[in-house]
Amino acid sequence: MTDPRALEPILGPRERTKPAFNEELPHDERFALFEAHVMAGGKVEATDWMPDEYRAAVLRFVEMHANSELMGVLPEREWLMRAPTLRRKLALTAKVQDEVGHAQLLYRVAEDLGKPREQMFDDLLAGKTKFHNVFHYPTVGWADVGMIAWLVDAAAIVAQQALRDSSYAPYARTMRKICWEESVHIMHGRDVVTTMATGSPMQRAAIQDALDRWWGPLMQMHGPRSPREKDRDLHWRIKARTSEELRQEFLTIYVPRIRELGLVIPDPALEYAEEPGEWTYSEPDWSELRTVVTNHGPMSQARLAFRRLARDETRWVRETILAGPRAA
Amino acid sequence: MTVAAIPTIALDGLLRSMADDEFVIGFSDSEWTGIAPILEEDVAMSSLAQDELGHATALFGLLGELLGEDPNAIAYDRQPEHYRHCRLLDHARGDWAMTIARRYLYDSADAVRLDALAGGSWAPLSDLVAKLIREERYHLMHVGVWLNRLAHHDGEARTRLLVALRELRPDAATVFTPLPHEDTLIEAGILEAPMSELERRWRETIGPVFADLDLPMPPAATELDRGRLDHREAFRWLWGEFTSVRRSEPGATW
Amino acid sequence: MPAAAELEAWEVFRQEKDGDPMRHGGSVMAPDAELATHYARELFGRRQESVRLWVVRRGDILDLADPDLLQPPLDRSYKKPGGYVMRDKLAAAREISGGSKPRARSSRRTTST
Repeated sequence: MTDPRALEPILGPRERTKPAFNEELPHDERFALFEAHVMAGGKVEATDWMPDEYRAAVLRFVEMHANSELMGVLPEREWLMRAPTLRRKLALTAKVQDEVGHAQLLYRVAEDLGKPREQMFDDLLAGKTKFHNVFHYPTVGWADVGMIAWLVDAAAIVAQQALRDSSYAPYARTMRKICWEESVHIMHGRDVVTTMATGSPMQRAAIQDALDRWWGPLMQMHGPRSPREKDRDLHWRIKARTSEELRQEFLTIYVPRIRELGLVIPDPALEYAEEPGEWTYSEPDWSELRTVVTNHGPMSQARLAFRRLARDETRWVRETILAGPRAA
Repeated sequence: MTVAAIPTIALDGLLRSMADDEFVIGFSDSEWTGIAPILEEDVAMSSLAQDELGHATALFGLLGELLGEDPNAIAYDRQPEHYRHCRLLDHARGDWAMTIARRYLYDSADAVRLDALAGGSWAPLSDLVAKLIREERYHLMHVGVWLNRLAHHDGEARTRLLVALRELRPDAATVFTPLPHEDTLIEAGILEAPMSELERRWRETIGPVFADLDLPMPPAATELDRGRLDHREAFRWLWGEFTSVRRSEPGATW
Repeated sequence: MPAAAELEAWEVFRQEKDGDPMRHGGSVMAPDAELATHYARELFGRRQESVRLWVVRRGDILDLADPDLLQPPLDRSYKKPGGYVMRDKLAAAREISGGSKPRARSSRRTTST
């Protein structure tokens, strides 16, 4: 398979020598060279040799991300039909379109690692691969739509920005495009939430209620704390920051902005300690997280079923276009 | 020509019919977002839906200026029987063949309508029409590719397409429902020709395409004079959806 | 046109504004050139972010990454500006001539050339 990255015009003279691990060497030697390359900040392209462990780790990471973008469309999709102004309708349609576009970009990255798209859909729908916790919960009103677009996207972007320097270069490049697009979504979300928070009593109550329901899943979203040394994705520089670092960054940026609107965060234990300069909070419910991501969340089965149905109903269309512009 | 020289009621009828057409098809097709047959096609269909909504927004904007009303209020705060979109768009989204069939019939008709409004005597409208024509080119290109594929694929695709066209038969030509005060619009130089003439031009355009694909030409619409008046259950459902948040708190800012 | 047995990858190159080079943007899956062009427009041009796109079937791209050809080992600094460091020689020349270092040219000129 050709590597289109070879045609990039901005390559500097010393940047992209063919890494030594691509040569025919004994496996252990290649592994060691590869590991050294990655730990020194070196990048990996789709056509490079990689240890099975690295390939599998990147694929799992990217696939879960792609699945999450695809499933993440469903909670907001219902509200597309109900957007209350022309501008909100356009903004939300564009946002959901971007999520689908992100799914496309990420499935492409995973496909180029060797797993066909249809197989990834099969695995997702069979529950063999996962998607992020926040997309397993119901959206009960327009306030939820604003809250998701703002805070769920914000928590996601904190993670995504840290991935822009991933060792797996195709993924890193995709993350840069995705981060740029997500920044618009957050602004839309914050606008919806702010408008409601400064609106009628019913709207303010709806926003507070949405925050009360979404805070738990948000705090669980980045995952439980795990020691740096044990994290293989960190080891391979697929990602660069720990779950706790991401959660802390999210809190630092967004707690003041939430409070700015007069909203109450439903965790009385949440506070910032100057020494040692970090947030303390009530321990998130990790068993809830485990239950939810194994597809036992409130909407997990319903959404997977909906996807299965949509896929079955459109199977004939895919079969049609694969026959080309003229029938045989 | 200044807008004062053209009776408001005539312009209202025209703008409202166009805005409602774009609004309803935009809403309806946005249902495919997230569930289209291929990821790439999902993004494409979503762009088409957004374009229509953008066009609706611009048209409601013009109408709002004309009447001194809030465009969102015009778009959302009417009872279902007061919408003036054509009956062709009252059908539910249906399967992919229905969406493509309906879209092709609508986009090809809309192209003829826009051409008849191009260079009209009221600058705000003719300026907008010039932009809409440029954007709609891609719609007809894209939906034409699909019409072609479905029609040529003997088997399930062609069958579904024929079923969709059969269901749309009585309503296919309702884009060309005669407008109230059409004569006024023609005299004022806004509209080039009556809807009956535009329907004729439309048939001349799509005739060769349908012949080439061996598809039955849509017949004259039943009860054409009521083509924008009697809306069906599918639209009532859509109306229920798109007004639900607004109706939950009338007068609120969203 | 031959029918694809499955979706294929098409690489998309984009030009951000007039005069810019074509840069690789990513890829789309499509069954043939016609839909590949539409999808390229959607994924890489729907936000008015490009003025031109090139869409190429991945299999048609010729890839050259051979280090012997592209990064041959012997010194080639005579082919690059960085291979000509004259600072010390110029300093020595100024000592002999008593001349001064020419002022750096500013990018703004008072008269046009």
